[in-house]
Amino acid sequence: MDHLRIVVGFKVTPDYEALRAPDWARAAGGAAESGGGPGAPETRYVRRVLGVFDEAALELALRLRDARAEAGLETSLAAFSVAAREADPFLQTLQALGFERAARVDPRAALDFAPRVTAAVIATYLRRIGSPDVLLLGSRCGPGESGAVPFLVADELGLPCVTEVTDVQIASRGRLRVTFAAGGGWIRATIAPPCVLAVGNAVVSMLRVPTLKDRLAVRERSLDVLSSGELGVDAAAALAGEPTVLASLETIDRERAGTIVAGRTPEEKARALYETQLRARLERL
Amino acid sequence: MSLSREAIVEGLRRIVGPDAVVTDEKILVESSVDNFRKLQNIFDVHTAPVPAAVVLPADTAQVAAILTWANENGVNVIPRTGATATEGGLESVVPDSVIVDGSMMNQIVSIDPYNMQATCQCGVPLQALEDRVREHGLTTGHSPQSKPVAHMGGLVATRSIGQFSTLYGGIEDMVVGLEAVFPGGEVARIKNVPRRAAGPDIRHVVIGNEGALCFISEVTVKLFPYFPENNTFLGWTLKDMATGFAVLRDVMVNGYKPSVARVYDPGDAGLHFSHFAAADDCVLLFMAEGAAGIAKATADGIQAIVDKHPECTQVPSEYIETWFNDLCWDASKITAEDERIRQTHNVNRTTEISADWSSINDIYQAAKARIIDEIPDITMMGGHSSHSYINGTNMYFNYFFNVVGVGPEEETDKYYLPIIGIICEETLKRGGSIVHHHGMGKARAPWVKDEYGSSYYILETLKRSFDPNGIMNKGTIIPL
Amino acid sequence: MSARETLRVAAVLDGTAATAERQARALGAFLREGLRLGADVKLVAATHLFHADQSGRESLLELAPTTDVRLIRTPALRADLMTAALTAFEAGGGAELFVFPGGPLGTELAARLAARTGGSVMTDILDAELSGEGLACRRRVYSNHLVGLFELRSLPWCITLDAGWSDARPSAPNEHVVQTVAELHEDDSSASGPLKSVEVLDQPTTGDLEAAKLLVVAGRGAGSRDGVERVAAAAARLGAAFGATRPVVMNAWAPPDRQIGVSGARSAPAVCLTVGVSGAPAFLWGVERAGFIAAVDTDERAAITGEADAVVIDDGVAVIEALADIVASERP
Ligand SMILES: Cc1cc2nc3c(=O)[nH]c(=O)nc-3n(C[C@H](O)[C@H](O)[C@H](O)COP(=O)(O)OP(=O)(O)OC[C@H]3O[C@@H](n4cnc5c(N)ncnc54)[C@H](O)[C@@H]3O)c2cc1C
Repeated sequence: MDHLRIVVGFKVTPDYEALRAPDWARAAGGAAESGGGPGAPETRYVRRVLGVFDEAALELALRLRDARAEAGLETSLAAFSVAAREADPFLQTLQALGFERAARVDPRAALDFAPRVTAAVIATYLRRIGSPDVLLLGSRCGPGESGAVPFLVADELGLPCVTEVTDVQIASRGRLRVTFAAGGGWIRATIAPPCVLAVGNAVVSMLRVPTLKDRLAVRERSLDVLSSGELGVDAAAALAGEPTVLASLETIDRERAGTIVAGRTPEEKARALYETQLRARLERL
Repeated sequence: MSLSREAIVEGLRRIVGPDAVVTDEKILVESSVDNFRKLQNIFDVHTAPVPAAVVLPADTAQVAAILTWANENGVNVIPRTGATATEGGLESVVPDSVIVDGSMMNQIVSIDPYNMQATCQCGVPLQALEDRVREHGLTTGHSPQSKPVAHMGGLVATRSIGQFSTLYGGIEDMVVGLEAVFPGGEVARIKNVPRRAAGPDIRHVVIGNEGALCFISEVTVKLFPYFPENNTFLGWTLKDMATGFAVLRDVMVNGYKPSVARVYDPGDAGLHFSHFAAADDCVLLFMAEGAAGIAKATADGIQAIVDKHPECTQVPSEYIETWFNDLCWDASKITAEDERIRQTHNVNRTTEISADWSSINDIYQAAKARIIDEIPDITMMGGHSSHSYINGTNMYFNYFFNVVGVGPEEETDKYYLPIIGIICEETLKRGGSIVHHHGMGKARAPWVKDEYGSSYYILETLKRSFDPNGIMNKGTIIPL
Repeated sequence: MSARETLRVAAVLDGTAATAERQARALGAFLREGLRLGADVKLVAATHLFHADQSGRESLLELAPTTDVRLIRTPALRADLMTAALTAFEAGGGAELFVFPGGPLGTELAARLAARTGGSVMTDILDAELSGEGLACRRRVYSNHLVGLFELRSLPWCITLDAGWSDARPSAPNEHVVQTVAELHEDDSSASGPLKSVEVLDQPTTGDLEAAKLLVVAGRGAGSRDGVERVAAAAARLGAAFGATRPVVMNAWAPPDRQIGVSGARSAPAVCLTVGVSGAPAFLWGVERAGFIAAVDTDERAAITGEADAVVIDDGVAVIEALADIVASERP
């Protein structure tokens, strides 16, 4: 293909790793206290980050564009997020990196645990802008991590989808050479666009950074912001009909005995661990 | 008459035994640079002379023997403990240097909660000491971002400073006494007393010597009561740094001692606070701590001062508290950062300076404008002020650039040194100091005469008297 | 609302993949232990066994976790054909609950089937229970910090199983009643499948971690690449599989195929020794089914100390090396 349209969808989440044990306990307890709703951790005060697999998908798209440019092939790049305003700084960065179109579809509803509604919004948006040749998504993203969204979107668009993609290279005749995890091993195969690629533990996982001059150059460009309502999807209403509903959250009890093994030196402690805990267990293996 | 590499290794083995002399090629090559040329380690492209050995003394006596031997044989010695140096202090610039690594000298000698002081060997990680004194309900009050990885020897040798400096001071305010070994093998111990006026304060010959005068073998630092339950956080957004500096000044001049007092410019704020600050917002933040009454009075006083600046918009304190809880850099965070550099070729560098209240904003503005204008491939140029005093404050320039069109070994020449040059020029022009807390190392040594002016005489004389053969960390503080 | 008397379940097994045995174990164990129906509800389950050729058919059949087996022949890697076959089955009466093993293919089939039939999809579930008109499922959310209880409303319920189920004991063998349903050929669909020139890569896999009886894991507390390499060497001397936490892998202190945890492998060893592992939830997911966990760490406040059966507070590398010496000296 002389011209390839790549669209990347991504999600921005609170940095859950910045939360601490009491925050999680409160999230689970809060639901019980309030009697309704599933509860959720307080995330207002932590930074926002790109989903790790989404970040890899964005960088893979840029590398694909670069590789095609080197081969004299044109590529257009677009990125979108189904999100509230918090995605805007990330979209601006993507504009500076050469994504010609950067869009935010605001669902005005919380879709964290609603893969079907999310997929419906994405598919509708993509039909609106013209279904892409290659749709790159992260294979899954917090907090739901269902992994179902890429397939649900692919199904709505009638496209094949490969998940757990770790690398994408250009191949002859506009095709792509894709490496992915499947069936307990790794597979490399060629796929012809249009297709959906859901990126997993990719070899390249970090997004490049635009220079201040790159940013300056796109300063006047605006983001495409539209509500899902403008697309004809009433996300809030759809949410009521979402076939899966999060009812409550529980903490996970991981407590074990935690018996401290005594001794003065590492050798003594290793010996004590072996005699009191390990010997019999290892003999049974 | 210089010794061969083999003879150097042999000489060291005789002193400390074979197991304490490292000659593994990979370790030696990695030891030829520190964070100043960290890209060389990240991409494994090396240009500096490879040291002859890393030696790990077990005690002060071995350090003395090593220094005596090195002094007699003209072998360049680079003291090292935590190896987190950022300014080239650990870089080998002459062939066949020996790294004297104090990390095996890692015993906490005593914790004295009555006299509120703790003594430890140079190789004790600050985090380890802090954890131990916390068991007594105490704190060292020292909290550089490198707390999990830097060691006490290096922290004293660089005149380091921590995040709570506005209350507890820099390391120079904490060290009450120490032991140091000089090139001739002399072991000098400065006793631990609250204060004395028995002549010049000789602690300051040792503190901040960056391994260029002596090896610090043991230090005694002050301890403070620890009241984390009283920590109070305050934060505001505002539109310009001039206001931020003015507020910091007001707080200091009115005698308040928050442990943290900072103002971030928009670029730097974007890295930490983009979830509540707009792209053109500065962020002003404080932490008050100490006994309940003190913490409260401090927080109230600061609140009243900032309230007088309507251009500051207060934000919920949880934002600041959450940020604060994730400040320090452990080994894993550092290597994750290395991986980011490996993949993106986007490098983060910092340069910290200080100046009086009249000049600080001008320095910040002038350096920032010139760097954006003169240096290619900049992806972020910003900074913050994080350590304030009655007469001025520091500026911690924080900047990122993409390394484009040159190999990793040329990154310092193409980008980093020219940026440092601009910052030093703009600072010196306005009477500030070109180094606030990372040390001169080898990176800023070329500016030493401009930094010192006529007082360079004192520095030079110290170096000549204590290290007449010039074996201590050649090129550090004073250039080759 | 008439009380439910039966629940019709389709367990879907991809016999074209090398993981067939693990899938079967997962499905069998889940039907036995993971699905609570209530006293009066009878389970009516059939296995939908996709297989690639005739030759391996008999041994695959042995694996089927239910008495009823429906055989469907398909080329490998043809999720499109499999989805079509399941959709057709659903259209002709089908099942109320489709159970797929965990993994990419299960996710794809469950999602696409739900999309096409108006059903519900829920991946990686820990267990499920009939509740009123719906199915209540538990799964991990927030990178294993919490478990969410979900309700699946629309039928059919299409679920995939948490990776932990594949560590279960195999089911007792069944007498099988076999029905050959369909042969899906390349030319049954619009064209051939989307993937061409397929190469199965000869790359290391995490299989040894998943199967390990004895596992040693290095965390960032091992301190350096050298520390991690020493832990790996000690693991080899102990005859243990060697794994690493995500920070260790991200630091390139160990290769990516060694990663244990939410984005790596999941293991259920009889004995697991962790070295310098702090115990983040995303990691624990990878070892929490271990029979016994001993943690070595310098930090007695690390989360792992409450999550392990035995704890040694000391330099992990030194302790694991000493332990390897002890075990070597005890061996006949
Ligand atoms: C992520 C990160 C964050 C940092 N944050 C801060 C911060 O907040 N505040 C701050 O002040 N610094 C900071 N630094 C800089 C650095 O951590 C400090 O300079 C620290 O004091 C160095 O301690 P070290 O034990 O690692 O010393 P090293 O890196 O081993 O050595 C530093 C210098 O001291 C000399 N030296 C080391 N040990 C001795 C000794 N026993 N006797 C004589 N000379 C010796 C060395 O020759 C060298 O010149 C940071 C660095 C990093 C990498």
